[in-house]
Amino acid sequence: MKSASRIMLPALATLLLSVAFSNTSLATRNLARADEASRPAAPPLPEPAPRPPLHPRIDALIEARLNGVTVAPQSDDAEFLRRVYLDLAGRIPTAMEAREFLADSTPDKRERLVDGLLSGPEYPRRMRELFHAMLLERRGDNDEWTVFLRNAFEQNLPWHLIARAILKPDENDEQLRGAAFFMTQRLVSEGAMAPVDVPGLTRDVARLLAGIDLECAQCHNHLTISHYLQRDFQGLHMIFENVKTRNDLKFPAVSEGVLSEKKEFKSVFEQVAMKTGPLIPGGEEVSIPTFEKGQEYLVEPDRKARMPGVPKFSPLEELSERLASPQNDLFTRNIVNRLWWVMMGRGLVEPLDLHHADNPPSHPELLDLLASEFAASSFNIRWLVRELTLSKTYQRTTRLLYTSAAEQPHESYAIGLEKRLSPEQLFWSLITATGDLERHRQRLAKEGKASLNSEAVVEQTPDLKSLKRAMIDTFANPPKEPEVDFAPSVKGALFLMHEDQILRLLKPQTGNLIERATSQSDDDTVRELCLCVLTREPADDELATLTDYLKQNADRRDEAIANLTWALLTSTEFVVNH
Amino acid sequence: MRQSVCSAAEHGISRRRVLGTLAGTGAGLGLGALGGLVQPAVGEELKQKERQVVLLWLDGGMSQLESWDPKPNTRFGGPFRSIETLIPGVQISELMPNTAKLMDRLAIVRTMKTEDPNHSSGVPKILRGHPKNRGVVYPYFGSAVAKLMGPTSSGLPPYLWVKPGSGGFISKYAGFLGAKYGALALGDGQPPENMLPPETLSERNALERRDLQKLFNQRYAATHRREWNEANSYVYDVADKLMQHSKLFDESLLPDRDHERYGRHDFGRHTLLARNLVEAGVRFVQVTSYGWDSHGDNFNAHASRVPKVDQAFSALVSDLDDRGMLDNVLVVMMAEFGRTPRINGSVGRDHWPNAWSLAMAGCGIKAGQVVGKTLDDGTDVATEPYDIGHMFHTWYQALGVDSQKTEFMNGTQPLPIAHDEMEPVAELLA
Repeated sequence: MKSASRIMLPALATLLLSVAFSNTSLATRNLARADEASRPAAPPLPEPAPRPPLHPRIDALIEARLNGVTVAPQSDDAEFLRRVYLDLAGRIPTAMEAREFLADSTPDKRERLVDGLLSGPEYPRRMRELFHAMLLERRGDNDEWTVFLRNAFEQNLPWHLIARAILKPDENDEQLRGAAFFMTQRLVSEGAMAPVDVPGLTRDVARLLAGIDLECAQCHNHLTISHYLQRDFQGLHMIFENVKTRNDLKFPAVSEGVLSEKKEFKSVFEQVAMKTGPLIPGGEEVSIPTFEKGQEYLVEPDRKARMPGVPKFSPLEELSERLASPQNDLFTRNIVNRLWWVMMGRGLVEPLDLHHADNPPSHPELLDLLASEFAASSFNIRWLVRELTLSKTYQRTTRLLYTSAAEQPHESYAIGLEKRLSPEQLFWSLITATGDLERHRQRLAKEGKASLNSEAVVEQTPDLKSLKRAMIDTFANPPKEPEVDFAPSVKGALFLMHEDQILRLLKPQTGNLIERATSQSDDDTVRELCLCVLTREPADDELATLTDYLKQNADRRDEAIANLTWALLTSTEFVVNH
Repeated sequence: MRQSVCSAAEHGISRRRVLGTLAGTGAGLGLGALGGLVQPAVGEELKQKERQVVLLWLDGGMSQLESWDPKPNTRFGGPFRSIETLIPGVQISELMPNTAKLMDRLAIVRTMKTEDPNHSSGVPKILRGHPKNRGVVYPYFGSAVAKLMGPTSSGLPPYLWVKPGSGGFISKYAGFLGAKYGALALGDGQPPENMLPPETLSERNALERRDLQKLFNQRYAATHRREWNEANSYVYDVADKLMQHSKLFDESLLPDRDHERYGRHDFGRHTLLARNLVEAGVRFVQVTSYGWDSHGDNFNAHASRVPKVDQAFSALVSDLDDRGMLDNVLVVMMAEFGRTPRINGSVGRDHWPNAWSLAMAGCGIKAGQVVGKTLDDGTDVATEPYDIGHMFHTWYQALGVDSQKTEFMNGTQPLPIAHDEMEPVAELLA
């Protein structure tokens, strides 16, 4: 990894870069980096050659560290199907999609399904929902931010450009300017007694984009992690102390002040004055250029227009280019570790934001490989997700099919690991299972609104829109808490048990699951419910028990079917991605 | 649209099993009661004793001079007299006549000396026992007890918080322990959202749903790692427990006599609910009364408020005693600080962490005594000062938790449960 040659940006990325950064600020950058000023500008290179498949190498490195642990078999088709829909489309498959896949006997059907999902309309939505929760941690939402994430994932924008849009938002780029919400929402005052939490912003940038949690290094060097220094925190913090939310624009945007001096700080323990300039996580200190008084600005502030002005020296720009860079190990390792965690259920480095030398990855060679290959792919998220999905490691069953299986260490990846469903995945899966998404799609089509995508259907159906909001409120973690662990709540249980919006889904309606089930034989009803909700056939004894239940309650069949459906929808098998 | 509080789950034990033996209950999760503890052995003993806590929190700061430490006829004494209590020589404010009669069951500490004169930072400091800064956010007392002792055998959530205003699950109180140890807040004593089944859901259907759900869950658990299904099943079990106790939330079922004794004001109603919650088996109940920040018109404010506290607090302590519960229930009443002896230009008293009082009862606390003494004009402590850390040590010891040996685990980092340079106050422990 360290020896990886300098990776050039592909043509597309370079183009976007020049949109994101004005020529004037590029000139400033040369001033700021005297050491690099003599280096000739790199000519844009063509798109890198297609990468050789990564997934066999992933599997080889996982197997190399099994240490005799027995490997679980690959998932069966039904298990794989459900998992891959949840991970790549953000929902379970419909019964029709399931039947089609299960009946397909061609050998490459898994790969074709993966490619179909990755190029489908739901993959960008799923990624947007995933990264929204990961980056904003339920601090709120904003239309411009949504536009930014939508564009980012619909265009498969390289990860370093996503990160740069966040770190140095460009208010002139309508496609991506909403990325500023990452900063502005963290710079909101939470009341008269609470100062704006700039240290919190510093911490989050380091945690989420560099995988290091510097919280404890704000006031002194970290006590237990020798690699996290107070200087790291202070050098990053001074960049954000210089940032203000712009209030002259109607969308989220930030401005920077003039930064002309190093920052002085003291450890609370030693009280010795130290100094640092802007410091890039995983990188170096940025030298601060000096300008004659009155020459600091490219664009002078305009008080009348409430325009804050544009200084020649932009620490945010330095940060965005030097952190979000293929040369920055922390940056590349953080993102591949997070994507690995999303797909595999456990980070190679755990916790996700504690990368340091004394907390090594479970598979160091694999983390290095993923990082260097991801950088070499020019940070192509869709490509990496595809490779992870195609690995045997991803496709292993979560079932304990042999006696010692439950004792296998999680970090061996010998058995598939279960994953928490996000509130969004739960919502989309619920309305997929009950048929309400399809039912309303058809209703809207009859009203002349043909072929709406799922989001538009929800947006135009007040019941579903309200249910989505309620489910995110109920099942999301509180603001500022990463959604990492499976954390079912009493609130969630009571919501599923008693909330009218849930119970309504269990009444027969034209085209929904309950209505379909009521008109079938007992056997077919049970099969239909199992397939629609759990994406599998009922086992023989299960089928016998459940048809018996329906038979005994033939006089109140609608109620019995509703009960059965509720139980399926709230079962652990449904609310977990396995 | 709610049906009567007598809900389906109330008959959980005797009910007809829809699916016969297939639908047995799974093993409980135990809420990781001992999961992060260095010394799990301590926990077993605790569970048997079922010790519990009621914390009465007077947010904003009750004046010690108008309650536990009156200084009548002194420079800063204010207009109220002091009265004798059941313990000869111990006097408290005349605003607390009922409490005075219970002094043999109480201990007062008059030499609280803490650091923080601000509400916003003082409240969390006191409620966390203000341990040494280790760069982590410590849990509030209720979350810490929920972690250290878990739910009682009742299975009810371990940390309930009765407060005016809105309710909800307050995860931030749990600090580094993690969201699940947060407080379940009952806004104005109302039950959690969606607790009561809607009219449209019959008891029979509710039972069948849960039985069928268990059937699916058992099948899943048989072939997967246990933790996921245990966690998912546990929250339904707790929901059932809450529903079984839904009568707790119906004030109309309580005798008039109780309402009169506790008072029909918020603090009275909420303290009465707290009594019922500990009786039902909740491990830790916090009751909050807001609005004690009397920078202006301090004396009228206390003349109106302290008697309400006196009424509810004395009713609670005597009820617990009458029921034989006081041996196992620790009652603490305090705030983030007291109020200045100096009376300001608005006839108010300001924030005063320098010398304030709190009171406690039950759970082996040595009662009928006053610990510490302040100067004659109340401006400072005259005897050994105590920080909130000393109190946390004392309360943990009373609850049967060795506060000097037990540690939390924050990942791999062991953390003392109370300030490690402080110790229990020996004279408070019988």
